[in-house]
Amino acid sequence: MSGTPNFRGQRAVVLHRPSETTERLARQLTLLGLTVAVRWRPLDHATEADIVLVDADEGWTGLLPWRERDNKPVPLVALLASEAPGRVAWALDQGADALLAKPVTPSAVYPALVMATRRHDEACAAAAVLGELRERLRLRPLVFGAVEGLRAEQGWTEEEAYRHLRGEAMRHRLTLEQCAAALLAAGQGRRA
Amino acid sequence: MGRFRWSRTLSVLRLGILFSTAGDTAALGRDCRDGALLALDELRAEQGSALAIEPVIGDPGGVGDRYIALARRMLTEDGCRHIVGTVTSQSRKDVIPVVEKHDATLWYVCPYEGFEANPNVVYTGGCPNQHLVPLFAHMLPAYGRRVFLAGANYVWGWEMNRLAREIVTEAGGSIVGERCLPIAETDVAGLVAAVEARRPDFVLSNMLGPANHAFLRAMRDLGRRDPAFRPKRCPVVSCDLTEAELPEIGAGVADGQLAAAAFFECLDTSQARRLKARAAARFGATRRVSSYFATGYATVRLLGEAALRCGTDDPTRLRAALDGPETEGPLGPLRIDPATNHAALPFWLGRIAGDGFEVIGSGPRRAADPYLTGPRPLVPEAGRPRLRVVS
Repeated sequence: MSGTPNFRGQRAVVLHRPSETTERLARQLTLLGLTVAVRWRPLDHATEADIVLVDADEGWTGLLPWRERDNKPVPLVALLASEAPGRVAWALDQGADALLAKPVTPSAVYPALVMATRRHDEACAAAAVLGELRERLRLRPLVFGAVEGLRAEQGWTEEEAYRHLRGEAMRHRLTLEQCAAALLAAGQGRRA
Repeated sequence: MGRFRWSRTLSVLRLGILFSTAGDTAALGRDCRDGALLALDELRAEQGSALAIEPVIGDPGGVGDRYIALARRMLTEDGCRHIVGTVTSQSRKDVIPVVEKHDATLWYVCPYEGFEANPNVVYTGGCPNQHLVPLFAHMLPAYGRRVFLAGANYVWGWEMNRLAREIVTEAGGSIVGERCLPIAETDVAGLVAAVEARRPDFVLSNMLGPANHAFLRAMRDLGRRDPAFRPKRCPVVSCDLTEAELPEIGAGVADGQLAAAAFFECLDTSQARRLKARAAARFGATRRVSSYFATGYATVRLLGEAALRCGTDDPTRLRAALDGPETEGPLGPLRIDPATNHAALPFWLGRIAGDGFEVIGSGPRRAADPYLTGPRPLVPEAGRPRLRVVS
C-alpha cells in the first residue's frame, strides 16, 4: 500500500493575480505543509517549484516557461472559473494535470494536488518508456541488418542468428540495438 | 470580560442545533444536543440580558437526507448564522456547502477522520493525531503489533482503517485482517469468525451504533469460549465509544474494552465533577456525561463567550474572537488554532467498567494536525508508550 500523499516541505507557486482566490489557496496550501509564492508574471526556469497552480482564466502563452506540455517539469493545476472552450484548451495545452474550479472550495485543494502529482508522475514514467521505445524502433533496422549478416556469414537460420545476437547483448550488458550496431560496425556480421 | 453590546440590528443570536436523536447515532446526537442546551442555560443564567442566544432545534430523525434541508432552513428562514451539529462525517460534508454558501459557521463537536480544515467550520471533536495516533502509540508496545481492523462502510471507517494500517505498517507491525460492514449491519458472525481465525493482538473498531454493539456482544461471547480473546489479552479499541452508548450495549458486556476520548465522566477534575452535577440537575441523576456531551457543552460556551467579546453574530468576526483568553472547561482550557480552526485537545485512554469508564492512561494536550504534516513515522517502531499510566 502506498502511504497517504503528503506535501510537507514542498514549494507551490501560484500564478494568479493576488486576490481572495490566492488568499484561500494560500491558507489551504499552507495547512497541507507547502510553502506558497504568489506571483503574476511569467515563471522562469530558475524559479524553484514542486507544483504550479496557474490562473487559466487570464493566463497567456509564455506565462509558463515550457514550450511543450511534454517537457513540463512539475505537476500543474489549472485554476478555472470560465467555461469558455478556449480557456479549457489553454489549460490542456499547458499540460494541466488537474482542474481546480474557482471560487476555490477548500475541500477541493488536497484532491487536486494529489491528482495532479499522480498524473504528472505517471505521464513522466510513460514519456520515459515511450522515448526508449521510439529509440529502439529507430534502431530496429540495425537489428535486422545484424541478423541478416550473421545468417549470411555463419549459415544460421534467422532464429539462430537472433538468439546469438540476444546472447551477446546480454553478455555485454547492451541493448539488442546497441549490440547490433557494434556487430555491424565491426564488419557486417563478423564477431564484435 | 467586556460588556456585551449587540450591533444595532441584532437582538438575539440564533443558534441552530442540528443533531439526530434517532437512528444509528441517536445516543451521540442526544448527548451533543443536551450538552449544547446545558451550556445555553448556563450562559443565560450568568449573562442575563447581556447575551441572548436562542436555540433553533432541528432533528433529522435519523434520515440522512434531511440535514441539508434543515441547515438551509436554519440559515435562510430562522435567522441562524451558526449551527452546532452533525455527528457523522457524511452529514457534516452534506451541510458544509450550505454553510459555505451563506458564509455561516458550522461548529462540529465529534471526533472525525481528519483531512479537512474548512474556514467555515470550527472543529472541537478531534482528528487522528489527537485520538488514533496516541491510542496506537499506547497499544502497539503494550499489546503487540498484529492488528485487526473492523469498520463501518463509510468515510469514517475507511479512513480510520487506512490510517491505522499506515501507522501499524510504519511501526513494523502488520494488519492481520480488515473487514468493513454496512453501517447498520448487525450480523457480525463473519467478522467475529475472521477475528477468531486471525488471532490479532488487538482489534480497532470503527463501527457505529447497533452494529458496534452487536460486535462487542459477539466478542464477549468469543472471549467466553476462548480466553485468548478476553479484553485483557485482545481488547477492542475505538475512538468514538463513550458512556452514551454503554446502556444500549448492556451492563458489563463490554467490560475491559478500551476507548480514546478527550473527556471521560470519571475524570477526577473539578470541571468534570461540576459538569456531572449540572447535567444531573438538568437531565436527572442517572444522566451519563460522555465526551460528546462535554464537547457540545464546551463548544457552545466557547461560542457564547466569543460572542460576548465581539458583540455580534457575524461569523467571520466571531471566529476571529475565538482567539481570546482560554477558559477552563471539561476539556481543559479550550483553544482554537486560527490556522486550522481545530481545538487543541487532551488525550485520555479509558477502560470500560460497568456503566462507565476508568481512566488508564493519558497524553498531553496536543494541537490538531488535520493533514498529518508532522513528523514521521506517526508511531515509532520501537515505540514506548508516551502515555503516563495513572492507575
